[in-house]
Amino acid sequence: MSYKVKLQSFEGPFDLLVYLIENAQMSIYDIQISQITGQYLAYIKAMEDMNIGVATEFMVLASSLIEIKSKMILPRINESGETVVEEDPRSELVTRLLEYKRFKRAAEILEEKEEAASRIFQKPQEDISIFLEQPDEYLSLDLKQFASAFTAFIERKQKIESVRKHYTRIEREKASTESRIAYIVDKLKQKIGRIFNFSELVPNKKDRYDTVVTFISLLEMAKERVVKVKQKSTYGNIEIAPGERINEGDIKYEQQEDN
Amino acid sequence: MSSKKTIKSAFESMMFTWGEPLDAKAAADVFNITKEEAIECFKELQEEYQQEGRGIIIRQINQSFQFVTREENADYVRDLCTPAKVKRLSQSALEVLAIVAYKQPVTKGEIEAIRGIRCDRVMDGLMKKDLVCEKGRADTVGRPILYTTTDTFLQNFGFTSIKDLPEIDDVETIVSGKFGEDAEVQGDGFADDQMQMEL
Repeated sequence: MSYKVKLQSFEGPFDLLVYLIENAQMSIYDIQISQITGQYLAYIKAMEDMNIGVATEFMVLASSLIEIKSKMILPRINESGETVVEEDPRSELVTRLLEYKRFKRAAEILEEKEEAASRIFQKPQEDISIFLEQPDEYLSLDLKQFASAFTAFIERKQKIESVRKHYTRIEREKASTESRIAYIVDKLKQKIGRIFNFSELVPNKKDRYDTVVTFISLLEMAKERVVKVKQKSTYGNIEIAPGERINEGDIKYEQQEDN
Repeated sequence: MSSKKTIKSAFESMMFTWGEPLDAKAAADVFNITKEEAIECFKELQEEYQQEGRGIIIRQINQSFQFVTREENADYVRDLCTPAKVKRLSQSALEVLAIVAYKQPVTKGEIEAIRGIRCDRVMDGLMKKDLVCEKGRADTVGRPILYTTTDTFLQNFGFTSIKDLPEIDDVETIVSGKFGEDAEVQGDGFADDQMQMEL
């Protein structure tokens, strides 16, 4: 005793119909509509009994089949009793089935081609980014040119060193907090009511020292209520508005130690 | 101007380095020759590899060329190592792909009309696998999206170009399974040759 389970799944209503027609060894040009319709509906019924959802598309074809079947039963005689040569009600269905079979065949061909192509191996592209992103720069020089370029470089270096021996580098006096406070007060007074961004109060934005001086000055000024400062989020922009003591002249700030 | 021998030799090296299909235009630009001249060189190389029965052959995909292994050696390669198995397409995916391949550019509506069932999900899968792609819109009502196959499709299915697809228009042979007299005249020999070559 053995069980034989054969599950035939269909890719769509036409697939099922083609299967039924072929299984019944019927000519596609002479489909026994009533027999096929019966089998088709029985299949759908069986699916529903097994609680398998049947796609609405299967129902659409079922109704077309029933329509064709009823048309075939109708007598082909008009009111005056003449036989009317009408188009076979099956012809549209046949056309569509043939079209579908064509592509079913094409799908088989593709499957075979895919199988054959899977026997061919290729190499994936190698990582050639090193060739693309950072091309080496080549300097085309002969030995003599290279030597003289090197000598020139050494000479220049020696010259700079001899100059350095005789002179010392002097840096300009950096801004103090007092002068920066005066600068900020000035700026704020010029445009009362305007809210300044922190960066607007740094004269030399590229210099980190300058930025720090402005920051420390603002802290001092905020403490003495000369300005109001607001920062909405960490690392966010700092907004500066004039405080209540902006117009007072002599405010004692804490003395900054010289650094 | 470089000799043909130099160019062909260089093209071999370029294909080797590139791995992926190498565009004939890109190769032609290296030598300042026309794309047609480059293709001619590639084709001569292809012929040479073929005639000498080398284990590496040159495969053409549209206007690109690539070194691949000879099909007959597949079993030996598989004995040496286990190349990653590519998951095969489902029956419905193959059907939809076949319709796109033969009728392109084609809309989803046309595909659905032929198969009598919706194909959105299958199409999504094919797009994800880069076998089909969108290519403009049809000038009909609703301007539906048109789909075509990609170079990856040609590559994965071993076609040189879309023109390379075997004929399927011969309805009689499909229906009866026999070759009618008409069928034989209608270039069936062509389709048959194709099949034998690949099987």
